[in-house]
Amino acid sequence: MENRWSSLKEKTAPYVLLSPFLFGFIIFFSYAFIRSLYFSFTDYDLFSVPNWVGINNYINLFKERLFTTALKNSLTFAIIVTTLQTIFALLLAVAMNQKIKGIRFFRTAYYMPSVTSSIVITLIFMWMFQRRGVINYLLTLLRQHGLTIGVFLTLLTGIQLLLVVTEKIRGRPVEYLEPSYIVISIIFAFIVTYVLKDFGIIKLAEVKAVDIFWLNTREKVPSWAGPLAFPRPLGAIMILNIWTTVPTFMILYLAGLQGIPKVLYEAAEVDGAKGWQKFWYITIPQLKHITFLVVTLGLIGTLQMFDQVKIIGSQAPLESTITLAYYVYDSAFPGASAPKVGMASAAAVILALLTLTIVLIQKKFSGEGRDLRD
Amino acid sequence: MEGGVFSEVRIVGWGGTDQSIVEELINKFVVPELADKGITAVYEPIVDDFQKNLINSLSAGTAGDLFYMDIFWAEYIIKAGQVEPLDNYLAKSEVLNKDDIIPSLLDAFTFEGKVYGIPKDFNSLALVYNKDLFDIAYIQYPNENDTWDDLENKLAKVVEAFDGEVTGLALAPEFARFGAFAYAAGWEPFVDGKTNLMDPAFKEAFNWYTGLKEKGLGVMPADIGQGWGGGALTTEKVAAALEGAWILGFLRDNAPNLKYGATLLPKNPGTGQPGNFIYTVAWGINANSKNKDAAFKVMEALTSPAAQQWILERGLAIPSRKALADNPYFEKDTPEAQANKIVFLGASAGNVKPFKFKEYGGKWMEPRNN
Repeated sequence: MENRWSSLKEKTAPYVLLSPFLFGFIIFFSYAFIRSLYFSFTDYDLFSVPNWVGINNYINLFKERLFTTALKNSLTFAIIVTTLQTIFALLLAVAMNQKIKGIRFFRTAYYMPSVTSSIVITLIFMWMFQRRGVINYLLTLLRQHGLTIGVFLTLLTGIQLLLVVTEKIRGRPVEYLEPSYIVISIIFAFIVTYVLKDFGIIKLAEVKAVDIFWLNTREKVPSWAGPLAFPRPLGAIMILNIWTTVPTFMILYLAGLQGIPKVLYEAAEVDGAKGWQKFWYITIPQLKHITFLVVTLGLIGTLQMFDQVKIIGSQAPLESTITLAYYVYDSAFPGASAPKVGMASAAAVILALLTLTIVLIQKKFSGEGRDLRD
Repeated sequence: MEGGVFSEVRIVGWGGTDQSIVEELINKFVVPELADKGITAVYEPIVDDFQKNLINSLSAGTAGDLFYMDIFWAEYIIKAGQVEPLDNYLAKSEVLNKDDIIPSLLDAFTFEGKVYGIPKDFNSLALVYNKDLFDIAYIQYPNENDTWDDLENKLAKVVEAFDGEVTGLALAPEFARFGAFAYAAGWEPFVDGKTNLMDPAFKEAFNWYTGLKEKGLGVMPADIGQGWGGGALTTEKVAAALEGAWILGFLRDNAPNLKYGATLLPKNPGTGQPGNFIYTVAWGINANSKNKDAAFKVMEALTSPAAQQWILERGLAIPSRKALADNPYFEKDTPEAQANKIVFLGASAGNVKPFKFKEYGGKWMEPRNN
């Protein structure tokens, strides 16, 4: 009897401990999810009694152009942003993992975009993306000084190559990116460019001010991509979103990098591995778990992107920025017409299934998940 | 309190300046009138997305007893049976009569012969211009006899005088502004329940409106870092904007030194008529309220001649009572009073339509905005 009692206690203990979480989960997630699932098969509009309409909502969704646009926008957004933010986060983490004086300052500074309110950042970006905004201004400067920059970079590469090749001919071991040579190259390239410019040999290109409509446009970019092109305002949101999410993922990678045993690198060095070989054969495989986490979180976050579309609001045409999450909101509260809660719920269910499917596919391809508990 | 009956009427409306206005109205007109009847009122401002909030709370049964209803979306909640018809209350009322209210405003809230809302005030569009820019350029101010072409000429001269440092008109790329010109050209938004955008009148207005931008005589507020015409005017980089009386308080606070004038929108050269929108907001009573009688009493007090007079004289809005049309306020020589008069006149000059699109609401506008 005593035994059974204690084993019962043992069995129930986890559930008792889980109950605070389960309570919130059941009320705020399960209940809401089941209700949405039910509404997705009805024509509910918040006021009249919901009527069962079967899968009509789902069929109608795919007939609606705004929904298919949202679906396409969401997928494009998720794929591009997740890819780029993962790459940038990794590169930034590697850079932040160097032992340089004051690195802590940079780690903090680079993390700022992630701790700043996304609303505030979106508002700031909306200013920068204006037609006479900072971004168009910088692009204009870049075009004006394009020739100068080109000359400088060519000289830089030329001088560096010259120095390295001379040394190699003399039979000395030297790397292509030898830092002391780079310093010399930069100084010389700068002086030569400056002189050329001073004598008027390189001139500022006469270009019209760059006048790109970042937000208020239906134009699709890149123009050669045909059906794969996405609206430029969505591109603007991508830039903004990547900029704000990279630092968070950088922190994850940084933690991962610091967990890689130094002996692996030392052993590789003994075997004569170069910098990029160490990166490719040690760093990346060692960070596999982190990459899985980053990509999964990235996909979930990007597929559900909502706030930035909402804040940009009427600054850009709805069709050029709408994502699935925003479509759900827009159908549930469509300005001045009847709320289409049924359609909104159906779209929400599709978004949930889509997220689940994509994450499962990613899990399968990355071969992750199976050994996570080891 | 009589018989210990005490009812508190919850009033729901916008946040911002509306909060202080309505609270003052309550203190000045509702409390003195209704305190001995045991009725009090409390204002609950909704700072953002008022309409979404109202729909949600109506659906959840937590909405206030008395609420703002914008003509733009009122039809939907009325059709959903959420708003109490007022005819029985009006029949019994001693202070509020259907005939007191400007008919076109009341019509906007009348469906199938029943009145669902008492308009509290209204607005229309006026051409608000920067006097200094016209003065410096030695150009005559725009006036109510201008046609589209006249206005375009005047704007072109201002732009020329400033070497392009200043543009002509702040052009909001939305139907809420452009539509007034389509109406001026004689376009009807619904013919036999359908919308024809290929109508020559619509095209004419569209080409003129977008043509201003192509000719360098107009600029979208967003392109000069502003959200709307009022903001654009304060930069002194545009000569004129199309806005309603809501711009006045904004200019008072944000550009106190700006010398501005207002006039009616220009006439279409073909029809010889200006066009305009009527924007109006009414008080509606929650059909599921337990306090409907008290709510109606509060509504009476809020729309009483005294309350409306107060609103008008403070330059807050243009009240909906007919009797106030002859108010001396409109003859005052201040720019604000003059602009208010223009907005008041705008509602009855030319081809004017309420700012509503059947039950389609904003959805109807979306394709047109683009």
